[in-house]
This record gives sequence, C-alpha cells and structure tokens, in this order.
Amino acid sequence: MKEKGSNQGVAVKPHKKPLGKVIRDNKVLMLMCLPAVLFFIVFAYCPMPGVYIAFTNYNFRDGIFGSPFVGFKNFEFLIKSGQLWLLTKNTILYNLAFIILGNILQIMLAIMVNEIRCTWFKKVSQTIMFLPYFISAVLIGVLAFNILNFDTGALNTLIRETGGNPIKIYSMAGIWPFIILLCNIWQQTGYGSIVYFASICGIDSQIIEAAEVDGATSWQRIIYIILPSLKPTFIILMLFALGGIMKGNFGLFYNLVGPSNSQLFPATDIIETFVFRTMMNQNNFATSSAVGLYQSMFGLILVMFSNWVVKKIDPDYALF
Amino acid sequence: MRKHVGKRIAAALLAGAMAMSLVACGGKKSNSTIGADGKVDTSKHEVINMLVLGDKPSNGRCEAMLEKLNGILKEKVNAELKLTYVEWADWQTQYNVQLLSGDKSLDIITTATDWLYAWENTQKGAFLPLSEDMLKAYAPKTYDQVSSMDDWKYCKYQDQIYFIPEDHYTQYTNHGLFYRGDWAKESGIENGDIKEVEQLDTYFQWIKDNKPEVIPWDAAGKNLSGGLLGGYINSKSDNIVIPSINVGNYEFWMGVSKDDPFTVTSPYMESNVIYDASELMLKWNKSGFWREDVLNYDGDTREEMFAGTTGADEHHSMTFYSQIRPNMDRKQSGSDAKMYWWGMENNNVSKPLKTHGAAAISANSQHPERALMVYDLLRNDEACYRLINYGIEGVDYVITSDGKLDHPEGWDKSKDSLDSNFWCGRNDDLEIQDVQWWGGTKDMIDHYNTFAYDNPYTGLVVDKNSVEAEMSAMSSVLAEYIPQLAYGKYADPKAAIDEMREKLKAAGYDKVKESLQKNMDDYKKSIGK
Amino acid sequence: MKKNGVKMTASTAVVRTISYLCVTMFSLMCLLPFLLMISASFSNEGIISREGFGLIPKGFTLTAYSWVFRYPKMILGSYMVTIVMTVCGTVIGLFIIAMTGYALQRQDFPFRNALSFFIYFTTLFTAGMAPTYIWVSRYLNLKGSYLAVFLQLLMTPWLIILMKNFAKSVPFEITESGKMDGADDFRIFSSLIFPMLKPALATVGLFLALGYWNEWYNSMLYLGSAVTYKPLQYYLYNIINTAAQLKNSMAGAAITITDLPSNTLKMATAVVATGPIIFLYPFVQKYFITGITIGAVKG
Repeated sequence: MKEKGSNQGVAVKPHKKPLGKVIRDNKVLMLMCLPAVLFFIVFAYCPMPGVYIAFTNYNFRDGIFGSPFVGFKNFEFLIKSGQLWLLTKNTILYNLAFIILGNILQIMLAIMVNEIRCTWFKKVSQTIMFLPYFISAVLIGVLAFNILNFDTGALNTLIRETGGNPIKIYSMAGIWPFIILLCNIWQQTGYGSIVYFASICGIDSQIIEAAEVDGATSWQRIIYIILPSLKPTFIILMLFALGGIMKGNFGLFYNLVGPSNSQLFPATDIIETFVFRTMMNQNNFATSSAVGLYQSMFGLILVMFSNWVVKKIDPDYALF
Repeated sequence: MRKHVGKRIAAALLAGAMAMSLVACGGKKSNSTIGADGKVDTSKHEVINMLVLGDKPSNGRCEAMLEKLNGILKEKVNAELKLTYVEWADWQTQYNVQLLSGDKSLDIITTATDWLYAWENTQKGAFLPLSEDMLKAYAPKTYDQVSSMDDWKYCKYQDQIYFIPEDHYTQYTNHGLFYRGDWAKESGIENGDIKEVEQLDTYFQWIKDNKPEVIPWDAAGKNLSGGLLGGYINSKSDNIVIPSINVGNYEFWMGVSKDDPFTVTSPYMESNVIYDASELMLKWNKSGFWREDVLNYDGDTREEMFAGTTGADEHHSMTFYSQIRPNMDRKQSGSDAKMYWWGMENNNVSKPLKTHGAAAISANSQHPERALMVYDLLRNDEACYRLINYGIEGVDYVITSDGKLDHPEGWDKSKDSLDSNFWCGRNDDLEIQDVQWWGGTKDMIDHYNTFAYDNPYTGLVVDKNSVEAEMSAMSSVLAEYIPQLAYGKYADPKAAIDEMREKLKAAGYDKVKESLQKNMDDYKKSIGK
Repeated sequence: MKKNGVKMTASTAVVRTISYLCVTMFSLMCLLPFLLMISASFSNEGIISREGFGLIPKGFTLTAYSWVFRYPKMILGSYMVTIVMTVCGTVIGLFIIAMTGYALQRQDFPFRNALSFFIYFTTLFTAGMAPTYIWVSRYLNLKGSYLAVFLQLLMTPWLIILMKNFAKSVPFEITESGKMDGADDFRIFSSLIFPMLKPALATVGLFLALGYWNEWYNSMLYLGSAVTYKPLQYYLYNIINTAAQLKNSMAGAAITITDLPSNTLKMATAVVATGPIIFLYPFVQKYFITGITIGAVKG
C-alpha cells in the first residue's frame, strides 16, 4: 500500500491532507469505482460469512448460523482418506505445469502471430486457434475416447492398419499426465494468447518503427522490445493463477479420466475429482464447503507470499 | 492504507453476517384452517407448487393438462397446481439446492428414501412434520389407504410422520440381465432359459464364437462401475442389500439373510463370494465379453441391444416389461428377449421399498393444508389421477375396448409425451395397464409375488453423522478397487481383495459397522421384532 | 507495415518462416478435432459406436440435428436470451470495467491500492457454492430470474486488474492535458482515454462476451427449469447430459429414451452452440491492429 511505485513525479501525499479534502478532490474517481465496488460487496463479500457453514453440521431449519458448531469435523474425511498429500501434490504439480508451460506457449504464439504479415492468414489462424476454447469438457472427453480407445480409437485403428500392436492407453497411468497437459494446452493456448497479443498491440508503435529504422531484426525486436513489454502482463497472470493453484480444472480431469477407471487415479486424481467421487451420494454442503475453504486458504497464503516476493524485487509489479 | 482495507472488509463481513443470521429466524407458523364445524376453509384461492423430477416438457401438452386439472382443483378445493421441474442434467445438485434455498413457494416435494435423500432432508429440517390429525383432515383417502397397509411407521422419524409413501403402486425394480432367448437356445441352454450365473458364461461364449460383429455385453462401465458384482452376490449368497446407506456408489452394507435381516455384514469384507465373483469377471474380461476400455465407455447399451450389436443389457424388471421386451419384439423380431434376474437360483428377491417414491410437504410451505388436499385428489380422484398421469383423454391417451391404456392415432412419443412426472402418489386402484407393455407383465409380477419377501428395511433411518468421515474414507477405497474387480482388470483379484480389505479396515470399517448395527438394533426394536 | 518487406534481413526471414510454420501447425491441431466433431455430428450413431469417429461422416444422416432442433421455438428462444445477455452484459460490463480500471491506475488517486486489493481479495477468498447460493437466491431473491445469471457475470477481478494494467500504458500526459483543459475525471476518461484503450477493450470485451456465451453453471443453479427459455449453453448442456443421466436415474421405470442418438447428438449440439460465436473473433480482431500511439494524440 505504499506510494513507492509511482515514478511519474505527480504522486500526492494523501496522509498529509485531511480526509474530507481527499475525498472531495477525488469525488469523481471514487464515483467511477462505485459500481464495481458495489458489485463486489453484493456478490462477493456479503456471502463470505457463510463459509462458517464449513464448521457446522448444517441443517435447513436452523440456517448457517443456527446449525450446531462442529469445529473441524467436516475436514476430517480429507485427512482420514490418507490421500491428502497425494491429492495436494497432484493438484499443485498439474497446475504448475499448466501455468508455466501454458504461459510460455501463449507468449510464443502471440509473438509468432504478431510476426505474420498476411492479414487473412492472421485472421483465419487466430479464429481457428480459438475453436478449442468453445469445446466443453464433456466433448473433449468424448473426442479423446474416440481417438485413444483400444477397440475403435482412431490411433489404434491406424496402428493396426500399419501392422503394429495396438496400445491399451486407458490402462497406462504413466502417460495420462501428458495427455491431460496436452488437452489443457490445446484448449487454452489460443484463448490465452489473446491477452499477450493485445499487450503487444499496446506497445508504442513509434518505438518499434524506430527500431526498424535502426535496422533491428525481427529477432532483436522480439528480445529487446516485445518480451520486456510483456513482463507486467505475465506477472499479473502468474499472481492470478497462483491464487487458484489448489483449484483444479475439474471438468477436464473428470471427463478425460471418468469416474470409474481407477487404474489411472494415482496419476490423475486431483482434489476436486476425489471429493466429487467420495461425496457423490452424500448431499453434504458443509463438507464440500470445508474442502473449498482448504483450497482457498492455501491459495491465499501462496499469493500473499508471492506478492511479497514480487514486491521485494520490483514493487511496480506487485498487485497490492 | 492497509487499515482501511481491513475495516472495509470487516464492515462487509459484518453486514453479510447479519443478513445470513436471518436464516435462523424464518420459522414457520402453521395456521389451522379448520373451522369450528370441522369443515375446511378454502375461501382463499391458493397455488400449490409441486417439485417433480424430469425434463420440463415444451410441447404444451402438460400445460393443456394442467389447465383442465386446475379447473377441477379450483372447483373442489379452490386451488391450482403448478409444477417445478428438477431436470436430469445434474439432478442431484439441483434437487438439493432447491431445498437448500428454503424456497417458500414450494409445497409438495417428490422424495424417496433410497434415491432422493428423504431421511437426510428430514434430519436437516426440509420437510414439515405431518400429524395424523392433519392427514386425516386434509388427505383422508390417502390416510386410510396408507393406514390400511400399516405403512405410516415407515415414514416416521422420531415418532413424527414426514412424508406420504407411494405404497400402493407395484413396480419391481429388482435388477438383472436382459438377454436374447433365441441366441441362448442356440448356445445349448435348455429352452433358452438362463437360470443361473454360470449359464451366462455359456451364453456369452457362444456369442463371442458365433457372432463376430456382436460384443457379448457391451457394458457402459463408466457409469455402471460396480459391474455385475452386486448381482453375483445377490445370486450366490442370501445377503440382502440395505438401501440408502451406500458407500459412495456401491451397495456395500447388507443384512445376513431374510431370516436374519438385522445382523449387518458386508460380503465385500466378510465373505468368499467376492473372491469367486472377481475370478469369474477376470475370466470374462480375458475372454473379451466386454470392451477393453469398458471403464471409460459410456455408450448406450440398450440401444445397441435393440440394434442387435450386443447380447445383453443390465437393468431392472420394470424396464424389462415396459421397454426391453416390447422394443425387442419390434426391432429384433424373434429375439425372444428374456430377463435373468439376480437371485433367481436362490429366490433372493425383495419387493421394492414402499418409499421408493414419496411425497413430502416443504417445511416452508405457506399452505400445507391445501397442499395435502390437492395431493389427496391427485392420488385418489379418478379424473384428477388420469389427468396428471395420462393427460387428456382422446388427445394424450385413449382407453381401448378391453380397458387398457393406448395412445391415439399419430401420437409420437418423442414429440407428444406428457412428462408430468408424478412419481409420488401413483395408485394401483386407478392405474390402467399400458397396451404397449409386454403381454407377460402380469404373469411376471404374479410370479415374483409368489416368492419375493418384503423389504425388511423400509423404515430404517441411519444416523450417518458420527461416521461420515469413515464412510467417505471407505468410499474412496471402494472407488479404487471395485471397478477394476468388477471388470476383471486385476491379474490377481484375490490379492487385490485382500489389499482392499486391509485398507477398508484402516478406513474405519469396524467403527461404521458397529454404529450401523446399533442403528439396526434400535430399528428392530422400534418395529417390534 | 508491409513497407519493411523489401529489406527483410535473413534473420527476420527465419523468424517469419518459423512463425508461419508453427502457427499453421497449431491451427491444424486445433482444427482437426473440430472437423472430427462436425463429421461425427452428421454420422450414424450405430456405425460410430462400432467403428469410432472419422473425418468423413459415416452413414450420413441429419438425425442428430433434427433432435437438436426438435423444438425450434425453444432453441431460437435460447439463442435470443443468450444474445441479449451477451450484448448487454458485454457493453455494460466493459464500460464499468474500463472506468474502474482507469481510476485504479491513476497515480494521483489515493485509494487506488486499497480498492485494488478490495477487488483482488475476492479471487483469493470466495464464499463457495452453498453460501453464495443461499445469499443470492434467498436474500437477493434472484432465483428463477435471468438477473441472477446476468449480474454475476458482469465483471471479474481479473478483468478489472487486466484493464488497469492496460490503462497504465496510456501516458499520464493525456490525463494531464485533459485536466489543463478543465475537464473532470469522468470526461477525461470518456472522451480522451476510452477511445485509446481499443486493444484492451477488445480483449476484455471478448472475454466478457465469451463468459456470457459459455455460461451454464449459474443457469443450472439459479434458473433450472423456472424460465421458459434457458440460456443456450444450458439448454444444450441439458441435451448433452440427459441421454446419459436418464439411464442412470434410479427412477428409470417411468421414462423411455428409445431412439435417442447419444454421441452424435453431443457433437451436433456443440456445433450448434459454437457456430455463431466463432464469427465474433474476426470482428473483434480489427481492434488489435492499431496500437496506442502518443504521436496520434499529440499531433
């Protein structure tokens, strides 16, 4: 919350003025923020006290705050299952891979698209790369099964036709992390690269033109102008992604692996899929809220820490 | 600055907390509407909203029916009926959030003890307790009918009635395998009648050897993850499944036998039958009786059977006589579809639960009395019953000369169906036999009635609270082992079972069993046995 | 930019070639499964379940589409609802987000950090499904109302922070020049800054529009069957999931689902749901081409 970051030389020092004057001076800016602030109060902050439900034995009659308090009992099953560590590890590792690899590829793609000069090619290819984002996880599951399954899958049909031995992909736990990663990248890269692409478009075109006049090659332009200019976007994306590092892409995992193929679970189980499977018939809002709370707290701590680190290194890039 | 943020958040939290705590004081006051002369006051027009399960129809048939029905309801009890649908996509989440919101507009709620969380929702206070006086006054016919079968005791929680059972409606929902009589005969089975599990082996093997285009049983293991294990146990042991206390997806807890139903056990833990079952499944998997990737397959086995590309399908008796047989006769004529039901060899078949369908009144209903009156009409008044179940005569259905139910010329199921989904108060006295159903339906039901025993657990309420964590832990163990055992994916099933048993013990099997046994003892006492 | 083509150096040529190659390859990777889907949607269910999908429809049929359009009134209504929500939501949301984003990056706005944190905090800590549901349906009384879906998608912290970051790249001199002309902050924003944020507006607007278009979860929770016309994705989600759900339903007996295509139906619904929105991108894309130039403003 410090003003250190401002390098424009116009920083005001609010704490020296009386609050009333500060408010009067910034009346318009505050009004401009009002709709958004109201929105978050109503839809995000008001329901928050409800997380108390995770510590109760919830019943409809008494409501959230009237139901008996049971402490950490709703968290117990996570620990009792003996899988908490495996699940936490899987969730984090998958997410790290998604975030890091995903962002690198998104940046690369945005830069490459930017290098393309043929307008119609640019339009068509970007539209196509957008397509996977629209395919719901249910359908990705169906498509994957139709490509990978043993009896009729496209891949194994091809292998059989060329005289090879078909592969039992759905019994090989080891390759599923790669399949899941691939699907995630396939789905997110085109969509994610939009942010980077927009950032590249936001670069002052005079700088680029000047560089070109000076005879800089594409490569030099990318390294010295474009990449550094993407840094703030990259860091923000990172910080947002870290907040959700304990939350998995349930739809993708669930639809690719399914609820029954336990041969693959050790390599593909994340917190969400596990909870969904165990809680399926239990109709228990309190327990699912407990899991949500566990994930939130983890993300919260992680982001606070990362932001602190970012701030140490370069306060300009810190989120808060 | 940071302080400001803190304050702001604190303020917001507080505002929310105050609002949320209002949940606690939404108590409902029941106001009697019976006048001094014992007559029910219906001077005020009320809308009764009934929660049903099923996809909301959009062909206008249901609205037309409701308009007619409401004419009668208005005249008789000055009320009109409205239907709120919980649709099949994500129905579990939707059903539960409907109750979670404490919606004041809901009156009648379709529920069930075995698949719609009736006891859980009772314990959580979603339903209004129904006093016998209330039932007598507002739903007298229903009250008499249920009393005559002495079934109210099955709907009681802490000595209060919480829902009305659909107890006078015959539907056999015992599971089994549907197969083709013609192929069974060719495979050398006498008359093509499969009478025991072992003969399934012969049948499947014959298909494998003689019908290269056909998968013997193209199981959709993605959804049917327990495979045939439960069925095998049913046929090869006397254990009876205790409903509504599944561990995860599996019917895990059982009573020892129909003669000793109140001793809790689990064949998955304590019997050798599971060894035999999984050995057989290993053999079937090796023989290729289902797909290699069965655990990820979710195709439509039933359609495939109709199309002649698979030799078997798994579901319950009612599906057999209402769908399988009529469809197979039409689409695969001469196929002579039959059903091998689990428990055929040892007559281990229980009659369906009397609370497989039930009607509850919402705890937040603003006019429970009128809701009961409407329900009583829907269940017992012939005109109302036919409207809500079959629609408008002449348009949605016709009565054939021999008194059966048929549809008028040009009626198309996919476009014209009524879909009112009234599953909480059907009544055999007013049911009309569907002409589309298999002709042998009555014989099949009569046959079941000769040996099937009453489900001994109809009124059992299990208090899962103290063992919820253990149950969850167990369910995660089962989710790991059962699918692979059921489809023969372990090379050494015996070792896998032993490993599973160890893990189940570690997860708290004994504690859960003990708590369950205690529940069972109390239940046994309460029903006077 | 084409003018540089003439004196392209070898290094630039290499970079360009690699770019074309990679983009083409990745595009193909994205396109193939989609073609597979389209082909499957025109295929015969029976053949597909035996032989799997192919790039050319197997046993060409329109059955799946005739199922999707079984009630044309319903699906057209769904289109309307979704289009209206998408357009209104994007316009309103975009304006609020841009306004907030601009205010939050103003170096001379003393509350910017506090407010940024106030907004960002909601991504770190959320109430979760049950409390939010109770709050929205019971206290805001929005159950069964399109507003429950519309309002909740209006903005996300992520989009506001993204906008804030984009707005940072607009030189502060522009704001100052506006101030010198005596304009108030809102006027500066609406007449000077807003037009300069084109790439940012295009990006955020695109995300908002996609959010509205792809929404089904809130519809499932808050609308259910209470409205006649469901938002498109929820309507189709129902079609996709119903086939499988019906069979598992333990009430089974009361329903029959004969003749229902399952896999081909899923594919056809996906094609129908995706069709219109993919035309949005080329339309938005033109805003990406021009970047911010100080020169343009100064000159």
